[in-house]
Amino acid sequence: MAAYILRRLLIAVPLVFGVLTLTFFIIRLAPGDPAAFFIQPGISPNVAEQIRQQYGLNDPLPVQYLKWLGNVLHGDFGRSFSRAQQPVLEVISEALPVTMTIAILTLVANFTFGIVIGVISAVRQNTFLDRFLTVTALFFYSMPEFWFALMMIILFALKFPLFPVSGLNEVGAESYGTLQFLLDRIWHLALPVTVLSINGAAGIARYVRGSMLEVIRQDYVRTARAKGLSERAVILKHALRNALLPVVTLLGSSLPFIFSGALFIEVIFAFPGMGRVTVEAIFARDYPLIIANTFVSGTLIVLGNLLSDVLYAVVDPRIKL
Amino acid sequence: MKSNKLTAAAALPLLLAATLLFSACSKPKGGGQISGSARDTTLVVAMLGDADYLNPVLGASVTSGNITGLIYPSLLQSEFDTSTGLLNYLALEKSLRPVKSDDGGRSPKGALARTWTMAPDHRSITYILRSDARWDDGKPIVAGDFKFAYRLYGNPVIASPRQQYLAELLGADKGSVDFDRAIETPNDTTLVFRFFKPVPEHLALFHTSLTPLPEHVWKGVGPEQFRESKLNQRPVGSGPYRLFAWNRQQDVTLSSNPACVLPKPGNIRRIMFRIVPDYTVRLTQLQTGGVDVVENVKPEDFGAMQRANPNVELKTVGLRVFDYVGWSNIDHDWYNKTRKLRPHPLFGSPAVRQALTHAIDREAIIDGYLGTYGTICNTDISPSLKWAYDDTIKPLGFDPALSVRLLEQEGWLPGPDGIRQKNGKKFSFTLYTNAGNDRRNYACTVIQQNMKEIGIDCRIEMQESNVFFENLQSRKLDAWMAGWSIGLEIDPLDVWGSDLEKSRFNFTGYRNPRIEQLSELAKAKMRSEDARPYWVEYQQILHRDQPVTFLYWIRETHGFSKRIQGETLNISGTFYNLDDWSLKPSANTVP
Repeated sequence: MAAYILRRLLIAVPLVFGVLTLTFFIIRLAPGDPAAFFIQPGISPNVAEQIRQQYGLNDPLPVQYLKWLGNVLHGDFGRSFSRAQQPVLEVISEALPVTMTIAILTLVANFTFGIVIGVISAVRQNTFLDRFLTVTALFFYSMPEFWFALMMIILFALKFPLFPVSGLNEVGAESYGTLQFLLDRIWHLALPVTVLSINGAAGIARYVRGSMLEVIRQDYVRTARAKGLSERAVILKHALRNALLPVVTLLGSSLPFIFSGALFIEVIFAFPGMGRVTVEAIFARDYPLIIANTFVSGTLIVLGNLLSDVLYAVVDPRIKL
Repeated sequence: MKSNKLTAAAALPLLLAATLLFSACSKPKGGGQISGSARDTTLVVAMLGDADYLNPVLGASVTSGNITGLIYPSLLQSEFDTSTGLLNYLALEKSLRPVKSDDGGRSPKGALARTWTMAPDHRSITYILRSDARWDDGKPIVAGDFKFAYRLYGNPVIASPRQQYLAELLGADKGSVDFDRAIETPNDTTLVFRFFKPVPEHLALFHTSLTPLPEHVWKGVGPEQFRESKLNQRPVGSGPYRLFAWNRQQDVTLSSNPACVLPKPGNIRRIMFRIVPDYTVRLTQLQTGGVDVVENVKPEDFGAMQRANPNVELKTVGLRVFDYVGWSNIDHDWYNKTRKLRPHPLFGSPAVRQALTHAIDREAIIDGYLGTYGTICNTDISPSLKWAYDDTIKPLGFDPALSVRLLEQEGWLPGPDGIRQKNGKKFSFTLYTNAGNDRRNYACTVIQQNMKEIGIDCRIEMQESNVFFENLQSRKLDAWMAGWSIGLEIDPLDVWGSDLEKSRFNFTGYRNPRIEQLSELAKAKMRSEDARPYWVEYQQILHRDQPVTFLYWIRETHGFSKRIQGETLNISGTFYNLDDWSLKPSANTVP
């Protein structure tokens, strides 16, 4: 398996690199100008030109590419255009902890609730409980996240002010003790994580239900029941393990989500995470930041796929890599 | 098996705990103690975006502007006089125009200049500075700090967005300012600016009052490193507030500086600019008391806002912002291909453009969307600039019948499909605007309907803002809807100048030498008021030629918590007198 992983990683290098090169050219060929902000009445026409000069955008494209290539090979992704010349890796390292906190909490909640609901609906197939859970899950699954988030804010922050509207902490939280600070942070994370996980859990529940239904019709489940095992043992030990095989691959593909951020949630709840960084970079035509973000998410998609494949082999001994 | 289960059961809480600890690592910097309820002495302002540079030479974002205004000292205080529409400039012992004490006008106590003298030939201005002002680190603020800062503003490597302010200094006409002669500092409290031409006093005051930087702090930073310097995040200023903490993309907090003499801050101990990108959430925060100020509330939310929370008040200010429909006066395709001019096949004639304005029901757009927060716009001189505004101009009213007559006189007759045509060419165009603006979206729909009624085919296309702006600049659009926010000094040549290569914002290609002449004549007057006849003629010409259809002026509306006292809204900015605000104690509405 180690050889397989190594091979996949080696293939990933040119792949990610190709993606970056493509991004490099596409964003420069797309309409829009990073210095456009400085083209307005009252600002000297020279400013936009001077800014372009500073950013090195006046060089011919191949020259720009070679310069960029040299820097990236030295691990230097450059400085952000739109964020006051902050090194882009610093921008990303500030945004990542926020995004990861939300994403990991969400992911855990997703899979926990998703699996529980999925198993219950499958075991009680076609009962009222199953229908109720299925309809509710579909209801939440088909709801747009940003709208759902706004509704939750109106309900739980405005009508019943139980949770804060936005932000990561209260005003003045920097003077709290560590425990109080943590509790304040959890209080602020409650609404966004709920929104994200209800939506995601509903999807996973549908998945688990389908896969579970398939598995409990298998012969070996009947055998397990026939040999007198308790229903609990049959479902949790024999059926669930096998039903989770396809779900495990979902975990791998969730990896990019952990790092790339949930855009709507970040904008609505004013969290300075990766999703916002990416979109703001695109709107501002902040080339270095766009490329660095592409690098992060591209690498993660490749790694996520690899992880799914490896996990598959780990949980299913029949699969040999 | 048992131990396996245990690990799995323990792993989850461990993972969650680790995640939270990880998140706590990003605990904001800061420290210090906030006694009592922090919220009672903290003013929280919701902002759309973060500050870029907390440096007056570089700052370009709105948030940066608000913050540098509080952190840094200024040479003069400026004030917009709502009764005349003229800007007044105040030093400690002198003002350009008489100060009206009745409307509580701004006290000049924040000015660094004690007084100034304009040379009789209007080619130089001499300031006498106060000697008791100090930077945060205790060093005195001296004339040299201004000269030092102006060199930075003018340095092309630094690319300051404010270099236009240096346009009249000695040497600027030859390409680069001769700083040694243009700015002189005979001693620490005397500052002299010299110009290459006579400059009206109000313009001289406006352009010489850029914010200084402490030379002793910045002198080691080369121009190449200027933008990257860490000093941009730790500004040394001398205003009533100091930077307390800056958590990027979250909030910028200022704390009051009791030692400050320029002027002493009020009872607001902290000002937090909180970054909340989503509009609905900003409004909700204002309603729950999470923030105290939200700028640019949309008209459709006014009613709900005031019903939901009686502790919120809405204040309007204006008029500085207008929307218009641009018609390309010249044939852009032809111009782009040949650099030669010929009238646009649809919009080239003033009579057609008048007809289009008559066809657009501007009142309906205002009634339907802006209500009392909008008013018809005739030209780009704001009714707020009373000294220049021509109130005798009658708006071209909504009159489809007149519009049809004008079009038919011009040869645009109904075709077999109901769409007007002339010499086989259909009157059919696409109206472009930027995506994501509800107001323009609404106006476009009304206009499309209006056009249909007079037999003109109008399609609407929304473009992403960057793309829209680039298409506008490269003259690819025939008709579009956009807006301008006007400056408080009238300077229209960027928009109407005849040299299309130089006038970067003349997107319509409108050319009228008299407009340029009038602008130059008006700018050459040493007193703004004396230029009024020129500006009146200017407005009449624009009204006659209708190079664009001016739609409406917008009264900008901002929401404030009622616990703020002393705020006066002024066209020159929401926070222009923020250092005079105070907070009513314990009037906080929500826990």
